Amino acid sequence: MTTAAAASAGALAARLAAIVGDAHVVVDEAELSTYECDGLTGYRVRPALVVLPASTAEVSGVLREAHAAGVPVVARGAGTGLSGGALPVAGGLVVALSRMKRILEVDYDNGFLRVEPGVINLDVSKAIGARGYYYAPDPSSQSICTIGGNVAENSGGAHCLKYGFTVNHVRGARVVLADGTVVDLGGPVLDAPGYDLLGVVVGSEGLLGVVTEVVLRILRKPQATRTFFATFPSTDEAGAAVSAIIASGIVPAAIEMMDRLAIVAAKAATGLDWPDVGAALLMDADGPAAEVEHTSENAIELARRAGAIEVRRPRDEAERALMWKGRKSAFAAVGRISPNYFVQDGVIPRSEIARVLREIDDLAAAAGLRVANVFHAGDGNLHPLVLYDESLPGQEEAAEELGGAILKLCVRYGGSITGEHGVGHDKAAYMPVMFAAEDLDTMGLVRCAFDPDGRLNPGKVFPTPRLCGDRPGPHRPHPEEASGKIWRE
Amino acid sequence: MTLPASRPAVAEDLVLGMSPGVVCEPASVEEAAAIVGESCRSGRSVVFAGGGTDLDVGARPETLDVLLRTRRLDRVVEHAPSDQIVIAEAGVTLGALARALAPAGQRLALDPPLPERATVGGVVAANAFGPRRARYGSVRDLIIGVSIVRADGVVARGGGKVVKNVAGFDLPKLMVGSLGTLGLIATATFRLHPLGEATATLLSAGLKARDVAALGGRLREAQLEPDSVAAFRTGTDRFDLAVRFEGFARGVDEQRARFAALVARDVRTACDLLDPAAAGELWARQDATRRAGTFRAKVAALPASLEKVEAAVLAPLAEALGTASCVCYPTLGFAFVGGEAADAAAVAAAVAAARTSLSGAGGSLVIAAAPEPVRAAADVWGPPPAAVALMRGVKARLDPQRRLAPGRFVGGI
Repeated sequence: MTTAAAASAGALAARLAAIVGDAHVVVDEAELSTYECDGLTGYRVRPALVVLPASTAEVSGVLREAHAAGVPVVARGAGTGLSGGALPVAGGLVVALSRMKRILEVDYDNGFLRVEPGVINLDVSKAIGARGYYYAPDPSSQSICTIGGNVAENSGGAHCLKYGFTVNHVRGARVVLADGTVVDLGGPVLDAPGYDLLGVVVGSEGLLGVVTEVVLRILRKPQATRTFFATFPSTDEAGAAVSAIIASGIVPAAIEMMDRLAIVAAKAATGLDWPDVGAALLMDADGPAAEVEHTSENAIELARRAGAIEVRRPRDEAERALMWKGRKSAFAAVGRISPNYFVQDGVIPRSEIARVLREIDDLAAAAGLRVANVFHAGDGNLHPLVLYDESLPGQEEAAEELGGAILKLCVRYGGSITGEHGVGHDKAAYMPVMFAAEDLDTMGLVRCAFDPDGRLNPGKVFPTPRLCGDRPGPHRPHPEEASGKIWRE
Repeated sequence: MTLPASRPAVAEDLVLGMSPGVVCEPASVEEAAAIVGESCRSGRSVVFAGGGTDLDVGARPETLDVLLRTRRLDRVVEHAPSDQIVIAEAGVTLGALARALAPAGQRLALDPPLPERATVGGVVAANAFGPRRARYGSVRDLIIGVSIVRADGVVARGGGKVVKNVAGFDLPKLMVGSLGTLGLIATATFRLHPLGEATATLLSAGLKARDVAALGGRLREAQLEPDSVAAFRTGTDRFDLAVRFEGFARGVDEQRARFAALVARDVRTACDLLDPAAAGELWARQDATRRAGTFRAKVAALPASLEKVEAAVLAPLAEALGTASCVCYPTLGFAFVGGEAADAAAVAAAVAAARTSLSGAGGSLVIAAAPEPVRAAADVWGPPPAAVALMRGVKARLDPQRRLAPGRFVGGI
């Protein structure tokens, strides 16, 4: 940091401390370094300051100061994101919401609760579990990730196939805009008049505002859940089984696929006695008991007809939990079969699973790398794990290239570059693969309405930020554009 | 400059009594884009119309130069049964869409009234829904992609055609309920659901609002998953409650038996299983109730507050209307009230009192249709929402010259 920059950071730190208290402004270099990345640890940037507000009023005050100082702001939950969405900006401010972790209100009769953004996802379900209720979105990181981060990323999880994503479970939010203005969007009552700005804020990856309160929809636990684990000679048969199950009119709560490498890894990590097979499915059906009995039996029959080698049903809840533990540990377990790996996140139409997996195999073979697949098969959300060894020259670069090629493959099949991890810093460059300039421009216009200076989470999602101009009007060149200081592609 | 695919306006083209200068019926998205772009550039205001079932929603536009009808944008662009998605152009009616999807055993789970008139684009623009919302959610839960024509004639897409996708801002949701004030919804992409193998409708008559709300809660507590829950208001604090289960036969049979037992135990009322003809009639009556009257209002409140809503909103409004048609979706917190507002001042007063009562808990009353005297005496939207400044900002960015249905939306947007 230059002397001048350090001085202005120091002045801002003092003003922020007046709002949140000295103890909640981080200026120490060593402490700052703990905020320099999120779950995607390959990208690291040390922020100038980290501030930890405790209320909407404090967040508003902090953003007002940052706005006045012209400092970029990155909001941060638990930092478990996998797309670099919470990557700080050099010289910028990180607003960490970890102190705002109260559950403010629970209303069982009307099916909602109100929380602060720092509440951990799983703690929501824990708080209402005794009454037989739960919060449906269940990202794999749910024991550590926070609701605020879930809202920013529109997080999914294995069970969103039936229950939908975060956006389908958020009814309202209190949002602090870039200039410190506080707005309430939606609320416990459905269909508040006006534009569905709440639907736009959810999944906007911290570019539109900082969420300081969230109204979440809560659900009664289903009467029954039936789980089965089925093995197949290859992903071809497993993919066919998924298609047959969905085509039969069954809506599974979750249906997950693992390929040979992923099964090997999960076994190594958990000691599960899964066989060595080409592919496996893990399916949950839930709902009213009679319906679930029926759908579960039918799905098993369809899996057998599609070529299942073996179908296992857990004897009790403990065994069911173990099966899911195997699935959920598969990511980390890959570390046991490869020195390095990274997780890709892309979506394809589920009917194309078998074909796309073969193409991924071909791409991997051509790159001289291995790819393990463990993913949400029901909605075609692939999570290819690209395995590599950074000690071998060129392998890391080859792995990155392969990851990019997989994303392009997803788009070619009519899918998406991200199903749940977000675009963040990591995939901003791939947005033009999926969207035309006009599409990105329209999203940019929405951003201009919320944050005309582009101070919230700059550098994320959009490869080339739209310039907003001073005020709305027909397009005219930005003053600095006209002078040639900046330009757009 | 003459707009493509244009013709002079006729009687059916009136929008809230206003006659557009010209009517355009584009046959392609490109043509629609040319019409919108040219209209806005030349300073003409544009209103979009599908089947016209919800054209009365919102305030009267300040000006109306061009009415763009989507009738000829009637292609089902893509139906991928194994991926359970459909892409349809704006002018496809829900009825036509249902017929296209049914052979694959699928449907779009949106069931607003008048499916043979209501179009895909209109349903998205008006956020239209029916009783199946109880299980499947509303447009925002089912729409996964959209292509729009902006005021400047630019065609832009948001979302995609896979159900799971978090790339970029959710433009599809921004368009839901925007009533043609942000752009033309040219195509929409939806996730689909399987048609049920079996269906069963049960009816329990003569319940009090308190019992209806309680049964809504009991349904949830009993882990039942009804497809639809509708309560017909038959008189002051009197409701007939209809519950429909759909799905696989085994599940439907078990659920309806449990529900009947629950009603017998908790409210000691008969709960009759309707035969298919009677069930069909009942749900048709539900549609008709939603459309009854030249005055229609949509009330939104917390589901558990139905007893209070009956006393403070539904009963006074019914009295002001003289004869009212009313159906509630008690698990969602909606009530639809319709009638003939002969006494406009009394109806406007009842609306104002209702809004005061509802606003405390965040509820709302929106007038979906009203004769001129009521419009003159009551704002159709009610007080502007807290975030109206931000909404104005979004409008200003996407339609800076206010050419698209100016003044129709909340807060004069």
